[in-house]
Amino acid sequence: MKPAPFQLHIPSTLEEAVGLLSQHGEEAKVLAGGQSLVPLMALRLARYEHLVDVNRIAALQGIAREGGWLTIGAMTRQTTAEAHRDVALVPLLHQALPLIGHFQIRNRGTVGGSTAHADPASELPAVALALDAEMVIHGPAGGRVVPAREFFVSTWTTGLKPDEILTAVRYPVWPGHCGFALEEFARRSGDFAIAGVACGLEVDQDGDVARAAIAYFGMAPTAVRASAAEAALVGSPARGADLAEIARLAASNTDPGDDIHGSAGFRRRVAAHLTERALERALRESIHA
Amino acid sequence: MTFAAASSRLVGSRINRKEDPRLLTGRGRYVDDVVVPDMLNAAFARSDIARGRIVSIETTAAAAAPGVVAVLTGTDLNPLLAGPIAATPTLGMGSPGPHKVLADDEVRYVGDPYAMVVARSRAEAEDAVELIELDVESLVPVADYTTALLSDERVHPQLEDNRAGGMVQPLDDELRTLLESAPYSATDTFVQNRYLAVPMETRGIVAWWDPGRMSFDIWVSTQSPHDVRTVTARVTGVSENQVRVQMGDVGGGFGQKAYLARDEQIVILASYHLGCPVKWIEDRRENLVAATSSRAERATVSIAADQLGNILGVRVDHIDEVGAYPMAGSAAMMGAVIFTGPYRIPKLSFSTDSVYTNTCSRAPYRGPWQIETYVREQAVDSLARNMGLDPIELRRRNVLQRDQLPYLLPIGLSLDHVSPAETLEQAAAMIDYDGFRAWQRQEFAAGRLVGVGIGLYIEPQSAMGPYAAEPAHIRIQPDGSTDVYLGSGSHGQGIETTTAQIVSENVGVPFDTVKVHQGDTGTTPYAFGTGGSRSGPILGAAIQLAARDLRSKIVEIAAHQLEASPDDIEVTGGVAAVRGTPTRARTIGEISRSAYLDLGALPPGMEPGLETLKRYKTDMPFLFSNACHMCTVEVDGSTGSVRILRFVVSEDCGVMINPSVVEGQIAGGAVQGIGGALLEDFIYDADGNPLTTTFLDYLLPTASDVPQIEYGHVETPATTPGGFKGVGEGGAIGAPAAVANAVNDALHLVGARVREAPFSPARIVEALEAVGR
Ligand SMILES: Cc1cc2nc3c(=O)[nH]c(=O)nc-3n(C[C@H](O)[C@H](O)[C@H](O)COP(=O)(O)OP(=O)(O)OC[C@H]3O[C@@H](n4cnc5c(N)ncnc54)[C@H](O)[C@@H]3O)c2cc1C
Repeated sequence: MKPAPFQLHIPSTLEEAVGLLSQHGEEAKVLAGGQSLVPLMALRLARYEHLVDVNRIAALQGIAREGGWLTIGAMTRQTTAEAHRDVALVPLLHQALPLIGHFQIRNRGTVGGSTAHADPASELPAVALALDAEMVIHGPAGGRVVPAREFFVSTWTTGLKPDEILTAVRYPVWPGHCGFALEEFARRSGDFAIAGVACGLEVDQDGDVARAAIAYFGMAPTAVRASAAEAALVGSPARGADLAEIARLAASNTDPGDDIHGSAGFRRRVAAHLTERALERALRESIHA
Repeated sequence: MTFAAASSRLVGSRINRKEDPRLLTGRGRYVDDVVVPDMLNAAFARSDIARGRIVSIETTAAAAAPGVVAVLTGTDLNPLLAGPIAATPTLGMGSPGPHKVLADDEVRYVGDPYAMVVARSRAEAEDAVELIELDVESLVPVADYTTALLSDERVHPQLEDNRAGGMVQPLDDELRTLLESAPYSATDTFVQNRYLAVPMETRGIVAWWDPGRMSFDIWVSTQSPHDVRTVTARVTGVSENQVRVQMGDVGGGFGQKAYLARDEQIVILASYHLGCPVKWIEDRRENLVAATSSRAERATVSIAADQLGNILGVRVDHIDEVGAYPMAGSAAMMGAVIFTGPYRIPKLSFSTDSVYTNTCSRAPYRGPWQIETYVREQAVDSLARNMGLDPIELRRRNVLQRDQLPYLLPIGLSLDHVSPAETLEQAAAMIDYDGFRAWQRQEFAAGRLVGVGIGLYIEPQSAMGPYAAEPAHIRIQPDGSTDVYLGSGSHGQGIETTTAQIVSENVGVPFDTVKVHQGDTGTTPYAFGTGGSRSGPILGAAIQLAARDLRSKIVEIAAHQLEASPDDIEVTGGVAAVRGTPTRARTIGEISRSAYLDLGALPPGMEPGLETLKRYKTDMPFLFSNACHMCTVEVDGSTGSVRILRFVVSEDCGVMINPSVVEGQIAGGAVQGIGGALLEDFIYDADGNPLTTTFLDYLLPTASDVPQIEYGHVETPATTPGGFKGVGEGGAIGAPAAVANAVNDALHLVGARVREAPFSPARIVEALEAVGR
């Protein structure tokens, strides 16, 4: 369990880091908290000749409130975010962070790393997708912003080019009467989810659902939105909605895989159950908000 | 209901463990902490297919890689073997010859080593392993043990079939008739998943053949240092007195480290032939895939009872797998011995097959025969359900009562000094069994599925062959401090502490002045090794014998020096004094000094020195302890997940040397059993590829997945010196049965049943869906 030989670069600026990435192309990889990358390399399931350690780049740190947005620097440790006062403004993120592995992992693991890694069973990509967050990216040609819906492509695959760095994730702070709930099912506490769901609901003055977001993790090669179920919710009265039916609809429109922890059918059953519970919680909260 | 130390006696007290300050502050010394000059590091090239014919192994590129000293294949090492690689006293079967440490004709499981690289660093060794080119023609593997006997393929081509052992006990007419015509009966097939020892410290060895001194120094993570010496001598051809083995602290063994496997033997051979020290520390993936396999068995059990619920007889058909190169093979025979366990069951028929498969080799794992409890306890529940009885009621009607002992087991062995009825009732009272039943009905009415399960068992400690004896050597030094030398040692059991307790109490020296040395063949007497829960009963008895022997000598010397009668001498707290006259006293230091240095002060004719070596041997083939596990669980009807609500163990291990150590042993075993029943599953696909090769997929229970275990104690002394019984394995024996029965008790509320472990959410959901839930 020793990684194949590699060269470690420790740049102190973003420009330097991007320069190294462009220089080495596919042979290089960004090293953030290392909680996903290092095990893969130690098992020799992944190998890169060059690692670009971005831990010393100040521009990637920090949490900031700007208008209706909460911006989290990519290198912000998951435990730092978890404990930060402003993160409560984005309740889904606040609920998701403690579910990532164990605190020892979150002490190293970063918000940007988890998002860029795009594991299908990870909480943070689903949260970003549910909230329509924005990815702030820096490359040789400068900066660009990509909406979450376009960012997550497939398992461990995003819209990032090999020479680009995710510098921050911008989460919208939903205004109005909103409720949020994240539910997941794992074999043990700290495990990657077998199935999980992040829900956000907004209720208008008349008590109708104005906005609905349901995003799954562990249910497809990447985080996915349950658009049909969201559409069925929007415009209908919040009280009296048949949440069990909507949850079933949402879960049945997924296409999860089979593995040793459960078949696709099992995952859909669990997902429907989680979705119903999450919608109930989110709805209760939005009505009282 | 925990044991309260009634007296100031050391034996029986919850004194803190001597080893804890060092182990808990990271100052333990494990194999990987051993560094010797010019030490090289080894890494193995292991097969990634289950079975294949080796066409060629190309090592040129690897040999030329940076840091590489040698690349060794079977062609290099197998011919150098000076003797068989099998475990020394093979109880059960081993792997068949011809003996090979490295695969040279066929690879036989995923993880089978076919080459080893020796390099300056482990990283360089691993880099070079990748450069070895193995040309292998894949063959159809024998991957599924349940069909291995029907397969045309052979794991070992020189054998007639894939049978590794077994026993066919024909069903006699009387039992057949009973099973067919009894008013009540139940027949089920229960499947136990493959789950593993997974010690926190993986296997590892530093082997150093010094061609100058013509001697071996070996540091190894083992349960049996003296056997390591024996095997080292045998496979290299040196004599045993040229080998010194030290084991240091060992981070768990559970049976996996009872025998020296091929991997360590390869390192020993490499050091011998390269003439330099070689270290190999197994990594976690190797440990999961290639160390040892265990459990992986199934049994069909038929059980019958009369109108009143008296169990009349049981028939068992069992099969297990031993993998490709088992070191000890199946323990099913032991299961047959104790199958009827804590019940009056007059008739038993037990048949078993053990088969070779193209999977990792089987080794003993904590309670290696525990399939008997696992399936018997579930069969008793089945029978109870068929009778409309509460499972505890059927047990009450059949459990052995004290006045029915000794009880002649169906296999002809006498069972005595056990307390199954008492532990059953103690556990039931602790968990409030009747109260739980009432609560269960309420909860079910509110839509929740909760259940209670029982695992009642007798735990045999084999004292057959070399298992019957253990030595203990005690030496009091001239300053009065005491050294104890044990040939078998602790791999986590707290033997340093319990040994010091026995010595302190029985010699009469302060606990803090007793130092226990273990697992160094250079200083300790030959012993077979730690395993089979023998450290309490057999080693404990030896320590007590030696301690009392030494005390007699102290008394004699003190009596002579104080001009008193030996009957009037008391030895406590390091002082020998005349009873009633504390001023007439000698410290142990004074006595000891005279024993070595002031020989004229000894009684005439007395042999100088203050030390003794005693070997205790029991004449009984088995010793017995017993326990009852009970747990309550909640099954989530939507997701199928199981949460343990309470877990209670009532245990009778005879006289407890240290209740905290006893409870630690129970806890560790029970957690492994809970893990096996709910989480752990080492899975191979149909082609023999392991699917659970990291801790991401091989799920161990963590502290947050297991409940606080609650303990009750019953003390029925053994007849051995000290009256101690084994307690090392029982936790792992009773827990899986209790969990299985509790889950099925909850599922029974809706008519569902699961007979295959682990009781994973997916499997439970499948059972719920089968009854329309
Ligand atoms: C035992 C265990 C349990 C875990 N459980 C969970 C869990 O339940 N849920 C979960 O979501 N995760 C879990 N993880 C993964 C963990 O959360 C990681 O922290 C996270 O996935 C990656 O963050 P990191 O900072 O460690 O990234 P790294 O491991 O350093 O990098 C991961 C990948 O992202 C890329 N990357 C990182 N940062 C950037 C960047 N700024 N720009 C471009 N690319 C970047 C890297 O190149 C690499 O490919 C677990 C890990 C372990 C070891």
